[in-house]
Amino acid sequence: MNSEQTLYEWIDLYAKGKLPADETVALEQRMHTDSEFRHKVEQQLKLIKALHEYGERRELKTNLDDIHAELEKETPVVPIHKTTGSTWKKYWPMTAVAASVALISIVGTLFMTRDLETKQTAYYKELRRNVDQIKKSQSIMMKDIAATKEKGKILPGNYAGTGFLISANGYLATSYHVVKDADSIYIENSTYGSFKASVVSSDPANDVSILKIDSIRLIGAIPFTIAKVEANLAEDVYTLGFPREDIVFGEGSVSALTGYKQNPNAYQISVPVNPGNSGGPLLNNKGDLIGMISGIQTETTGAAFAIKSTKLLNVIDSVKTDSLLVPLILPKQNSLKNSSRVQQVKQWTDYVFIVRIYKNN
Amino acid sequence: MDELIVSEIRKKNEVVLRELYKMHFPMVMNLVCSNSGTEQEAKDIYQEAVIAFYERVQQEHFRLTCRIKTFLYAICRRLWLKRLSEKKRFHGNIDETETFLQIDDVMLDMDEREKQFSQMSKALDGLGEPCRSIIEDFYIRDLSMEAIRDKFGYTNADNAKNQKYKCLQRLKKLFFENT
Repeated sequence: MNSEQTLYEWIDLYAKGKLPADETVALEQRMHTDSEFRHKVEQQLKLIKALHEYGERRELKTNLDDIHAELEKETPVVPIHKTTGSTWKKYWPMTAVAASVALISIVGTLFMTRDLETKQTAYYKELRRNVDQIKKSQSIMMKDIAATKEKGKILPGNYAGTGFLISANGYLATSYHVVKDADSIYIENSTYGSFKASVVSSDPANDVSILKIDSIRLIGAIPFTIAKVEANLAEDVYTLGFPREDIVFGEGSVSALTGYKQNPNAYQISVPVNPGNSGGPLLNNKGDLIGMISGIQTETTGAAFAIKSTKLLNVIDSVKTDSLLVPLILPKQNSLKNSSRVQQVKQWTDYVFIVRIYKNN
Repeated sequence: MDELIVSEIRKKNEVVLRELYKMHFPMVMNLVCSNSGTEQEAKDIYQEAVIAFYERVQQEHFRLTCRIKTFLYAICRRLWLKRLSEKKRFHGNIDETETFLQIDDVMLDMDEREKQFSQMSKALDGLGEPCRSIIEDFYIRDLSMEAIRDKFGYTNADNAKNQKYKCLQRLKKLFFENT
């Protein structure tokens, strides 16, 4: 046993407090004087202390583990917040709030959009209703002239278009759609009163019908001619017609030399026309007939159409070749060309008639 | 009540320790589990806190400055915040909390002790048998050299002492070289 080992034995005993009192004093005294010795002893004591504490702590740990196991056995500890520590468990309230916000936003947006849409739909419907009305008006205008079943049902005999004299011996021109399906036709104006008329000839393709006043009665020379040449673009034109019970004047220009869907037999005109104007004469500055109002385009404002007078003449020619009891003699001279428009119109009103269609069902 | 517990624990009364442990565990469990921890983590830090308390009570100069519950809670809270910040889940300043309990001292002490504990554990692991058992028997379990001699079958006590001396030398080297 060397000196170092002896020293260790001493220190062991000292650490355990089992060193005899005199030796303890000697040891401590030596520690005071010999710093190297003291360091050695202290290191040794520290090691022993660490060992000791290690032992105690280890024991304590096992002890606590035992207690914990026991604790788990007798009362399973239920945490107030039963969490597993997962992110979800921690953040679910926030997630829920976020989800609610998202949901509310979505639903809110949906509601709002729906509201918006309803409004738009309403607007659209309204528009459609307008369109419907226009369509209706157009069809009324057409049907007036054409006297459709529906109209006939509602107001038998109360649909009207416009027509005008093309010869002094009682021939009139009007739109085919005005008089088609008619059971009986009466023409009327303030100058001459009312006459019964019948269809002499029709050209559905060009929407032209020729009527004849049944009671032959000479009216006198007609002061205008039917133009044999086409009108020019931008030419000033006017019309007379019966969109209501009274004759109505309307003016504008020739806006195109073709009609609806590039129909070469018609003009597009910027004359305000309404249902009832169908069959009305379209006149130029001289008071000559250059066309006959036939319809309007619903989607476009200020776009009306008129059959060209040249086409009208073609139709009249084809009628003339048929055997007519009364010859159709077209006017040859225009006595209006130097008159003012007011004078022209004053004269013209005598030759424009409201065409009433009666239908029996 | 708390004084009684302290004095009993100072006497290493296991029953009192047991009751103390059971009394406050639910609180810590709630603290941890409601702050994104698991029951296992709650157990770990609670045991650390109880050990800290236990060891502190053993110190002669220990005086209870607040209720045991408060003490345990403060330590657990601090420990948990530390764990969270290690997990990058807590970004507050841990040191600013609960300075009035001198928790900082406790924490430092705990760190020190924990470090020493793991060091010793490592050193003992490196020692190997039978050295480890001899050292543990003598220094921790406080057995006499005679008992150790008998246990390990040494022919006389001097042989056992010699062996113990050698083991201690090695342990000393292992323990301090890591310090």
